[in-house]
Amino acid sequence: MAYPVLQVENLTMHYTTRKGAVKAVEDVSFSLEKGEALGLVGESGCGKTSVALTLLRLLPENAQFLGGHVYFFRDGSDEAHARRAVGKPVKVLLDGQEHQGRLVGVDRSQLVLDARLNGRTQQIKLARDGIARIGVDLTALSDEEMRPIRWKGISMIFQAAMNSLNPVYKVGDQIIEAIQTHMPMPIPEARERVAQLFQLVGLDRQLMDRYPHEYSGGMKQRAVIAMALACDPDIIIADEPTTALDVIVQDKILREMRQIQKKLNMSMIYISHDIAVIAEVADKVGVMYAGGLVEFGPAEAIFKNPIHPYTKALMSAFPSIKGEKVKLAALPGEPPDLIKPPSGCRFHPRCPYATEICEREVPKFIEHKPKQHAACWNPLT
Amino acid sequence: MKRIWQTLTSGMSKYIIMRLLQVILVLYLYMTLVFIILEAQPGDITDIYVGNPKITPEARDAIVKQLGLDKPIHERYFEYLKNFVTGHLGCSFKWGNISPTPDPVCREQRPTWDLIKERLPRTIVLFLTYTIVSFYIGFFLGKLIAWRRGAIIEYFSTVVGVTLFTVFTPWFALLLVWLFAVNLGVVPIGGFINPDSWTNIRQIGSVDCSVGISCSNIVFNQMLLWLGGLSLFWGIVYLWSRRFSYVWQRNVIRWGAVALGIVLAGLFFGGSWFGEVNRVVLARNTKFQFFVWYFEFPAGTIPLFPLALDFVQHMVLPILTLTLISFAGTMLLMRNTMLETMREDYVMAAKAKGLPDNVVRDKHAARNALLPVVTSLIFAIAFSVDGGVFTETIFSWPGMGQLLLLSALEQDYPVAIGSLVFTGIFALVAHVIADILYAFLDPRIRYD
Repeated sequence: MAYPVLQVENLTMHYTTRKGAVKAVEDVSFSLEKGEALGLVGESGCGKTSVALTLLRLLPENAQFLGGHVYFFRDGSDEAHARRAVGKPVKVLLDGQEHQGRLVGVDRSQLVLDARLNGRTQQIKLARDGIARIGVDLTALSDEEMRPIRWKGISMIFQAAMNSLNPVYKVGDQIIEAIQTHMPMPIPEARERVAQLFQLVGLDRQLMDRYPHEYSGGMKQRAVIAMALACDPDIIIADEPTTALDVIVQDKILREMRQIQKKLNMSMIYISHDIAVIAEVADKVGVMYAGGLVEFGPAEAIFKNPIHPYTKALMSAFPSIKGEKVKLAALPGEPPDLIKPPSGCRFHPRCPYATEICEREVPKFIEHKPKQHAACWNPLT
Repeated sequence: MKRIWQTLTSGMSKYIIMRLLQVILVLYLYMTLVFIILEAQPGDITDIYVGNPKITPEARDAIVKQLGLDKPIHERYFEYLKNFVTGHLGCSFKWGNISPTPDPVCREQRPTWDLIKERLPRTIVLFLTYTIVSFYIGFFLGKLIAWRRGAIIEYFSTVVGVTLFTVFTPWFALLLVWLFAVNLGVVPIGGFINPDSWTNIRQIGSVDCSVGISCSNIVFNQMLLWLGGLSLFWGIVYLWSRRFSYVWQRNVIRWGAVALGIVLAGLFFGGSWFGEVNRVVLARNTKFQFFVWYFEFPAGTIPLFPLALDFVQHMVLPILTLTLISFAGTMLLMRNTMLETMREDYVMAAKAKGLPDNVVRDKHAARNALLPVVTSLIFAIAFSVDGGVFTETIFSWPGMGQLLLLSALEQDYPVAIGSLVFTGIFALVAHVIADILYAFLDPRIRYD
């Protein structure tokens, strides 16, 4: 049975700058299921990375979190997770039903929730067993409570993975460091684990005692993937994982990542500006434009029949080798300034289908076709 | 054999060997430069000693011949180099002999090497301590104010640091002397020892220091020897402890070594018991005489600790002054490089790995920010030599800087040349050590 591991609701985040607030993430909602690969695609600067950093709470100091919830789910039997959730807004999934509220107490057999039902708060009790899944709101956690979730719950492959290895430590030691933080074990065991991870990503185990500058670009990328896998995370966020690599290595690594993901039944979020990368790896696609999610749904449906004009424009700007010869349609105009975004639908100045309402009102993010959501006044059919 | 060759020609060993060869070359060039500068000066030794109208032409010729000034310049140059290799640096014109067994060449004059041997350790101790203290304070504060930008500590330490950094050094040193030594009286005004503490001391261990050899030098050199030995011991233990797989095992070994060092030094400097034990051992078994010599020193009667404390008291003020004046340089540089490394992806990755904040700060950000700061330290060492002349003169610390100034003022040529060259050697060696340290800190250097 598919169940969600992450639900993001109405995430809004701005950066404070001297010129004004940069509205980098505006009302973004999506969910990620176990074993699923989600692709976030969009032009550079549309807020993809900001979404990822908000999930991990790694934002720079000038970032202002303005609202929304990030529910991160784990089994009800996970003691540390349940304890951490006490006093926090939670979502509990039990027998196909979703309960939302504040977790008041937890013991061996039940969960006590302060839930709002029919407009008033009342206490409900839920059976706690392996099937109950507790989703804690990450935005409500303190930094210290967030720490165990980083890497063990959600790990990340950073943009320009080349630079995410510290140049003065051996690569193996940097991975062992992560393992030791979340699952303490003797060093020989941790080294054995690193060796297995290296094997999994196709690196020689001898390489773990080398420094990053002795690696090639592709090798570093693999090492970073091994590092992201080190603590068996529930979710891996891969932010532009292959942008710095040449096309052949890029393709090879993407295939391998896809294989590993299927093999370990992991949930992944791929972030890329390159729709070809997303098409290769993702089960579900989210298209972002100017800080907002404009379309979200199964990959196949979106690539076949996009609803939002921006999705369509994005795809026709990409060449196809197999199909008939078509002229690539470049999208006119520039991505908007996020300090003063256009009124209404942020895409309307560049949209060929724009009507008068687009300028006036922000379109709602609703289900236009089964499982296919979009925010558009004039959806394509 | 092949394996030894391989180790020597790869990685770190190769780097160190290449660096040492370079230093030997630089040293040679430096010595040549000193020779040329002294030769190129208008007026030389002959003017002072031979230009005196009371000296008869015969006596004058004899002096010229005795000093070897009649030889052509290239012969004198080779003799100059040869003397440095053999360790005979000539006899001082001003300093009289104090040893009961005079040098066969210098007779009633004091050999230059004797002076340098006595004074170099003092300068080394003063500058090593000051460099470490000021570097560590600068590093620590810089790290902290970069990590917590905009905190009160940032404004406070920046304002204080920059003010002290720009202040006129001799004036500030005198101000501190006036405040701490004259008004508060907590530290001595200057000098190296307090003579009152040493008047009754005629013997240290088995060494009689009533004539010729200064007792303070023996204790001081012992102190230095212990410091160096313990640091070396701890360094070896530290490297050796890395082969253990558990962190607690490493920590036990490292802290155990520290404790052992403190206990040994305490026994050596503190009490008579250790000395007595060793004397008994020595009396019974002369085979270990060489080994026991080092431990036998305190010989029961005089605890060396109060004597060693005497040096420490005299070092407080110079080190305080130098540290206050110079820590801001390291601090501001550290702050800037730290702010830069904090933006690096690997620091973000370290945070994402869920490492505790102080680990991210110290192990990832500060560790990388340290590299440019060590580079600046390497340059600072060269400048600390001329700083040495200032400080040692103001605090009457009888080290190389003071010797250099005195001998230059008194036109004591052999001593001036000797101290100039040895100050240079000191700076070069410090340079090499800093370079090797840098290679240890940055793996990218080692393999180039």
